[in-house]
Amino acid sequence: MSKTKRVGFKLDMTPMVDVGFLLLTFFMLTTQFKPQDVAEVVLPSSHSAFKLPDSDVMVVTVDKDGNVYLGVDSQNLRAQLFGVENRLRAGMQVQLSELSKLLREARIRNPKLRTVIKGDKESEYNVIQTVMETLQKENITRFNLVTDLEK
Amino acid sequence: MADVDLSQSKGKQKHGGKRRKKRVGVRIDMTPMVDVAFLLLTFFMLTTTMNKPQTMEINLPPGGQTAEVAESNLLTLRVTDDFRIFWNIGTNKPAAVDGSDKKAKLIALGKLLKEQNSANPKLITLVKVDGKAKYIDMVDVMDELNLNNINRFSLAPMVEDDKKILAAL
Repeated sequence: MSKTKRVGFKLDMTPMVDVGFLLLTFFMLTTQFKPQDVAEVVLPSSHSAFKLPDSDVMVVTVDKDGNVYLGVDSQNLRAQLFGVENRLRAGMQVQLSELSKLLREARIRNPKLRTVIKGDKESEYNVIQTVMETLQKENITRFNLVTDLEK
Repeated sequence: MADVDLSQSKGKQKHGGKRRKKRVGVRIDMTPMVDVAFLLLTFFMLTTTMNKPQTMEINLPPGGQTAEVAESNLLTLRVTDDFRIFWNIGTNKPAAVDGSDKKAKLIALGKLLKEQNSANPKLITLVKVDGKAKYIDMVDVMDELNLNNINRFSLAPMVEDDKKILAAL
Protein backbone atom coordinates (compact mmCIF):
# COMPACT_ATOMS: atom_id res chain seq x y z
CA MET A 1 0.00 0.00 0.00
CA SER A 2 2.90 2.32 -0.30
CA LYS A 3 2.53 4.97 -2.93
CA THR A 4 5.58 6.38 -4.56
CA LYS A 5 6.62 9.20 -2.36
CA ARG A 6 6.28 12.55 -4.05
CA VAL A 7 9.45 14.49 -3.65
CA GLY A 8 9.02 18.13 -2.74
CA PHE A 9 10.31 19.98 -5.73
CA LYS A 10 12.01 23.29 -5.22
CA LEU A 11 13.62 25.17 -8.03
CA ASP A 12 16.02 27.95 -7.24
CA MET A 13 15.00 30.84 -9.44
CA THR A 14 17.66 33.22 -8.20
CA PRO A 15 20.07 32.91 -11.17
CA MET A 16 17.27 33.36 -13.67
CA VAL A 17 16.02 36.44 -11.87
CA ASP A 18 19.57 37.76 -11.77
CA VAL A 19 19.95 37.37 -15.48
CA GLY A 20 16.52 38.89 -15.99
CA PHE A 21 17.51 41.99 -14.07
CA LEU A 22 20.77 42.20 -15.91
CA LEU A 23 18.97 42.18 -19.25
CA LEU A 24 16.43 44.65 -17.97
CA THR A 25 19.18 47.05 -16.97
CA PHE A 26 20.85 46.59 -20.34
CA PHE A 27 17.73 47.32 -22.32
CA MET A 28 16.74 50.23 -20.13
CA LEU A 29 20.11 51.85 -20.57
CA THR A 30 20.51 51.24 -24.28
CA THR A 31 17.02 52.09 -25.42
CA GLN A 32 16.85 55.31 -27.28
CA PHE A 33 13.43 56.54 -27.88
CA LYS A 34 12.70 57.56 -31.39
CA PRO A 35 13.31 61.25 -31.77
CA GLN A 36 10.18 63.15 -32.51
CA ASP A 37 9.67 63.94 -36.12
CA VAL A 38 8.91 67.34 -37.49
CA ALA A 39 6.72 65.98 -40.20
CA GLU A 40 5.26 62.71 -41.26
CA VAL A 41 7.66 61.32 -43.83
CA VAL A 42 7.54 58.02 -45.65
CA LEU A 43 11.10 57.21 -46.59
CA PRO A 44 12.05 55.81 -49.95
CA SER A 45 13.90 52.53 -49.89
CA SER A 46 17.35 51.77 -51.19
CA HIS A 47 20.07 49.16 -50.90
CA SER A 48 22.51 51.55 -49.34
CA ALA A 49 23.96 50.39 -46.04
CA PHE A 50 25.43 53.58 -44.65
CA LYS A 51 24.20 54.37 -41.21
CA LEU A 52 23.00 57.73 -40.13
CA PRO A 53 25.54 59.33 -37.78
CA ASP A 54 24.54 59.64 -34.14
CA SER A 55 25.28 63.25 -33.47
CA ASP A 56 26.04 66.48 -35.23
CA VAL A 57 23.37 65.99 -37.81
CA MET A 58 21.40 68.65 -39.55
CA VAL A 59 18.26 67.32 -41.17
CA VAL A 60 16.45 68.99 -44.00
CA THR A 61 13.05 67.37 -44.08
CA VAL A 62 10.82 67.63 -47.10
CA ASP A 63 7.31 66.35 -46.66
CA LYS A 64 4.85 65.10 -49.22
CA ASP A 65 3.42 68.55 -49.89
CA GLY A 66 6.79 70.12 -50.47
CA ASN A 67 7.12 71.88 -47.13
CA VAL A 68 10.71 72.16 -45.97
CA TYR A 69 11.78 71.82 -42.35
CA LEU A 70 15.20 72.28 -40.87
CA GLY A 71 16.23 70.45 -37.75
CA VAL A 72 19.44 70.07 -35.80
CA ASP A 73 20.03 67.60 -33.02
CA SER A 74 21.38 69.82 -30.28
CA GLN A 75 19.07 71.93 -28.17
CA ASN A 76 21.67 74.64 -27.84
CA LEU A 77 21.99 75.08 -31.54
CA ARG A 78 18.24 75.04 -31.97
CA ALA A 79 17.94 77.81 -29.42
CA GLN A 80 20.52 79.85 -31.29
CA LEU A 81 18.96 79.29 -34.68
CA PHE A 82 15.27 79.46 -34.01
CA GLY A 83 15.07 81.28 -30.69
CA VAL A 84 14.95 79.92 -27.15
CA GLU A 85 11.21 79.30 -27.21
CA ASN A 86 11.63 76.81 -30.06
CA ARG A 87 14.53 74.86 -28.64
CA LEU A 88 12.40 71.86 -27.70
CA ARG A 89 10.97 71.44 -31.16
CA ALA A 90 12.75 68.98 -33.39
CA GLY A 91 12.69 71.34 -36.31
CA MET A 92 11.11 74.37 -37.80
CA GLN A 93 9.41 74.94 -41.06
CA VAL A 94 11.55 77.18 -43.22
CA GLN A 95 11.12 78.86 -46.54
CA LEU A 96 13.43 77.78 -49.31
CA SER A 97 14.67 81.35 -49.58
CA GLU A 98 15.90 81.47 -45.98
CA LEU A 99 17.29 77.94 -45.98
CA SER A 100 20.60 79.10 -47.34
CA LYS A 101 21.13 81.61 -44.56
CA LEU A 102 20.13 79.15 -41.85
CA LEU A 103 22.42 76.46 -43.20
CA ARG A 104 25.34 78.85 -43.20
CA GLU A 105 24.56 80.04 -39.68
CA ALA A 106 24.25 76.51 -38.36
CA ARG A 107 27.50 75.50 -39.92
CA ILE A 108 29.33 78.49 -38.53
CA ARG A 109 28.14 77.57 -35.04
CA ASN A 110 29.00 73.92 -35.45
CA PRO A 111 31.35 73.19 -38.33
CA LYS A 112 31.14 69.45 -37.69
CA LEU A 113 27.51 69.30 -38.77
CA ARG A 114 26.65 66.69 -41.34
CA THR A 115 23.77 67.44 -43.60
CA VAL A 116 21.15 64.89 -44.46
CA ILE A 117 18.07 65.21 -46.58
CA LYS A 118 15.01 63.37 -45.44
CA GLY A 119 12.48 63.46 -48.18
CA ASP A 120 9.11 61.85 -48.48
CA LYS A 121 9.07 59.39 -51.32
CA GLU A 122 6.03 61.01 -52.85
CA SER A 123 7.37 64.53 -52.75
CA GLU A 124 8.10 66.28 -55.99
CA TYR A 125 11.66 66.15 -57.17
CA ASN A 126 11.56 69.90 -57.83
CA VAL A 127 11.76 70.75 -54.16
CA ILE A 128 14.51 68.24 -53.46
CA GLN A 129 16.42 69.58 -56.40
CA THR A 130 16.16 73.12 -55.09
CA VAL A 131 17.31 71.96 -51.67
CA MET A 132 20.29 70.18 -53.21
CA GLU A 133 21.18 73.23 -55.24
CA THR A 134 21.05 75.32 -52.10
CA LEU A 135 23.36 72.88 -50.36
CA GLN A 136 25.71 73.00 -53.29
CA LYS A 137 25.75 76.78 -53.20
CA GLU A 138 26.59 76.65 -49.52
CA ASN A 139 29.48 74.37 -50.40
CA ILE A 140 27.94 71.36 -48.76
CA THR A 141 28.85 68.95 -51.50
CA ARG A 142 28.75 65.82 -49.42
CA PHE A 143 25.43 65.01 -47.95
CA ASN A 144 23.27 62.00 -47.31
CA LEU A 145 19.80 61.02 -48.29
CA VAL A 146 17.92 59.16 -45.60
CA THR A 147 16.39 55.98 -46.90
CA ASP A 148 14.90 52.78 -45.62
CA LEU A 149 16.49 49.46 -46.28
CA GLU A 150 14.92 47.80 -49.28
CA LYS A 151 13.14 44.57 -48.47
CA MET B 1 10.32 30.07 -4.68
CA ALA B 2 11.61 33.59 -4.88
CA ASP B 3 11.81 34.32 -1.22
CA VAL B 4 14.45 35.87 0.86
CA ASP B 5 14.78 34.21 4.21
CA LEU B 6 16.07 36.62 6.77
CA SER B 7 15.53 34.41 9.79
CA GLN B 8 18.98 33.49 10.88
CA SER B 9 20.13 30.83 13.24
CA LYS B 10 16.89 29.55 14.63
CA GLY B 11 18.78 26.95 16.57
CA LYS B 12 20.53 29.50 18.70
CA GLN B 13 17.39 30.87 20.20
CA LYS B 14 17.31 28.86 23.33
CA HIS B 15 20.97 28.92 23.83
CA GLY B 16 22.31 29.95 27.18
CA GLY B 17 19.04 29.82 28.99
CA LYS B 18 18.69 33.56 28.72
CA ARG B 19 15.45 34.64 27.30
CA ARG B 20 16.10 36.62 24.18
CA LYS B 21 13.48 38.39 22.23
CA LYS B 22 12.19 35.95 19.78
CA ARG B 23 13.36 36.80 16.30
CA VAL B 24 10.63 36.42 13.84
CA GLY B 25 11.69 34.89 10.56
CA VAL B 26 11.03 37.48 7.90
CA ARG B 27 10.18 36.13 4.54
CA ILE B 28 9.72 38.62 1.78
CA ASP B 29 7.83 37.36 -1.16
CA MET B 30 9.76 38.56 -4.19
CA THR B 31 7.37 37.16 -6.76
CA PRO B 32 5.52 40.41 -7.63
CA MET B 33 8.74 42.35 -7.99
CA VAL B 34 10.22 39.75 -10.28
CA ASP B 35 6.99 39.70 -12.25
CA VAL B 36 7.14 43.44 -12.78
CA ALA B 37 10.80 43.24 -13.69
CA PHE B 38 10.13 40.66 -16.36
CA LEU B 39 7.22 42.66 -17.64
CA LEU B 40 9.50 45.66 -18.07
CA LEU B 41 12.14 43.47 -19.63
CA THR B 42 9.68 42.23 -22.22
CA PHE B 43 8.56 45.79 -22.88
CA PHE B 44 12.06 47.07 -23.46
CA MET B 45 13.03 44.07 -25.54
CA LEU B 46 10.07 44.51 -27.84
CA THR B 47 10.24 48.27 -28.19
CA THR B 48 13.96 48.59 -28.75
CA THR B 49 14.74 49.09 -32.39
CA MET B 50 18.33 48.34 -33.06
CA ASN B 51 18.34 49.53 -36.62
CA LYS B 52 19.19 53.06 -37.46
CA PRO B 53 17.98 54.62 -40.67
CA GLN B 54 20.09 53.98 -43.70
CA THR B 55 21.51 56.77 -45.75
CA MET B 56 22.77 57.16 -49.22
CA GLU B 57 25.78 59.34 -49.68
CA ILE B 58 26.00 61.82 -52.49
CA ASN B 59 29.02 63.80 -53.53
CA LEU B 60 28.35 66.74 -55.74
CA PRO B 61 31.03 68.86 -57.32
CA PRO B 62 31.27 72.28 -55.65
CA GLY B 63 29.01 74.89 -57.19
CA GLY B 64 30.33 77.10 -59.94
CA GLN B 65 32.86 74.56 -61.10
CA THR B 66 32.51 73.09 -64.50
CA ALA B 67 34.38 70.11 -65.75
CA GLU B 68 35.05 69.45 -69.38
CA VAL B 69 34.05 65.97 -70.37
CA ALA B 70 34.57 64.42 -73.76
CA GLU B 71 31.27 63.80 -75.44
CA SER B 72 31.95 60.13 -75.90
CA ASN B 73 32.50 59.76 -72.16
CA LEU B 74 29.22 61.23 -71.13
CA LEU B 75 26.21 59.05 -70.53
CA THR B 76 23.06 61.06 -70.03
CA LEU B 77 20.09 59.55 -68.26
CA ARG B 78 16.82 61.38 -68.47
CA VAL B 79 13.95 60.42 -66.25
CA THR B 80 10.52 61.80 -67.03
CA ASP B 81 7.69 62.44 -64.62
CA ASP B 82 5.89 59.25 -65.64
CA PHE B 83 9.09 57.29 -65.06
CA ARG B 84 10.27 56.65 -68.54
CA ILE B 85 14.05 56.46 -68.70
CA PHE B 86 16.03 57.58 -71.72
CA TRP B 87 19.72 57.18 -72.16
CA ASN B 88 22.23 58.39 -74.67
CA ILE B 89 25.94 58.81 -75.04
CA GLY B 90 27.20 62.20 -76.07
CA THR B 91 24.75 63.75 -78.47
CA ASN B 92 23.31 60.52 -79.80
CA LYS B 93 19.60 60.13 -80.05
CA PRO B 94 18.15 59.11 -76.69
CA ALA B 95 16.82 55.59 -76.48
CA ALA B 96 14.24 54.40 -74.00
CA VAL B 97 15.04 51.83 -71.36
CA ASP B 98 12.41 49.19 -71.84
CA GLY B 99 10.47 47.47 -69.16
CA SER B 100 6.88 46.67 -68.46
CA ASP B 101 6.89 48.24 -65.03
CA LYS B 102 9.16 50.24 -62.81
CA LYS B 103 11.04 47.28 -61.44
CA ALA B 104 11.73 45.83 -64.87
CA LYS B 105 12.94 49.22 -66.07
CA LEU B 106 15.30 49.54 -63.14
CA ILE B 107 16.72 46.09 -63.76
CA ALA B 108 17.17 46.93 -67.44
CA LEU B 109 18.83 50.19 -66.42
CA GLY B 110 21.21 48.35 -64.12
CA LYS B 111 22.18 46.01 -66.93
CA LEU B 112 22.67 48.89 -69.31
CA LEU B 113 24.85 50.77 -66.86
CA LYS B 114 26.99 47.72 -66.28
CA GLU B 115 27.46 47.12 -70.01
CA GLN B 116 28.26 50.72 -70.82
CA ASN B 117 30.67 51.07 -67.95
CA SER B 118 32.59 47.95 -68.77
CA ALA B 119 32.75 49.09 -72.40
CA ASN B 120 34.08 52.48 -71.38
CA PRO B 121 35.51 52.72 -67.85
CA LYS B 122 35.92 56.48 -68.18
CA LEU B 123 32.21 56.99 -68.52
CA ILE B 124 30.63 59.73 -66.48
CA THR B 125 26.93 59.53 -65.85
CA LEU B 126 24.76 62.58 -65.80
CA VAL B 127 21.33 62.12 -64.31
CA LYS B 128 18.57 64.49 -65.23
CA VAL B 129 15.30 64.03 -63.45
CA ASP B 130 12.17 65.92 -64.34
CA GLY B 131 11.10 68.32 -61.62
CA LYS B 132 7.60 66.86 -61.64
CA ALA B 133 8.87 63.37 -61.00
CA LYS B 134 8.64 61.84 -57.56
CA TYR B 135 11.58 61.85 -55.21
CA ILE B 136 11.55 58.08 -55.07
CA ASP B 137 12.17 57.88 -58.81
CA MET B 138 15.40 59.76 -58.33
CA VAL B 139 16.37 57.63 -55.32
CA ASP B 140 15.70 54.47 -57.31
CA VAL B 141 17.92 55.60 -60.15
CA MET B 142 20.65 56.64 -57.72
CA ASP B 143 20.32 53.31 -56.00
CA GLU B 144 20.82 51.55 -59.30
CA LEU B 145 23.95 53.61 -59.88
CA ASN B 146 25.26 52.77 -56.44
CA LEU B 147 24.52 49.09 -56.89
CA ASN B 148 26.63 49.08 -60.02
CA ASN B 149 29.45 50.86 -58.20
CA ILE B 150 29.20 53.94 -60.34
CA ASN B 151 30.38 56.80 -58.21
CA ARG B 152 31.22 59.21 -60.97
CA PHE B 153 27.88 60.71 -61.58
CA SER B 154 26.37 64.11 -61.43
CA LEU B 155 22.90 65.49 -61.08
CA ALA B 156 21.62 68.16 -63.36
CA PRO B 157 18.23 69.80 -63.63
CA MET B 158 16.11 68.88 -66.59
CA VAL B 159 15.69 71.99 -68.67
CA GLU B 160 13.29 72.81 -71.47
CA ASP B 161 15.80 71.72 -74.09
CA ASP B 162 15.88 68.22 -72.63
CA LYS B 163 12.12 68.06 -72.69
CA LYS B 164 12.12 69.17 -76.31
CA ILE B 165 14.58 66.45 -77.22
CA LEU B 166 12.43 63.87 -75.54
CA ALA B 167 9.24 65.20 -77.07
CA ALA B 168 10.78 64.99 -80.52
CA LEU B 169 11.33 61.27 -80.17
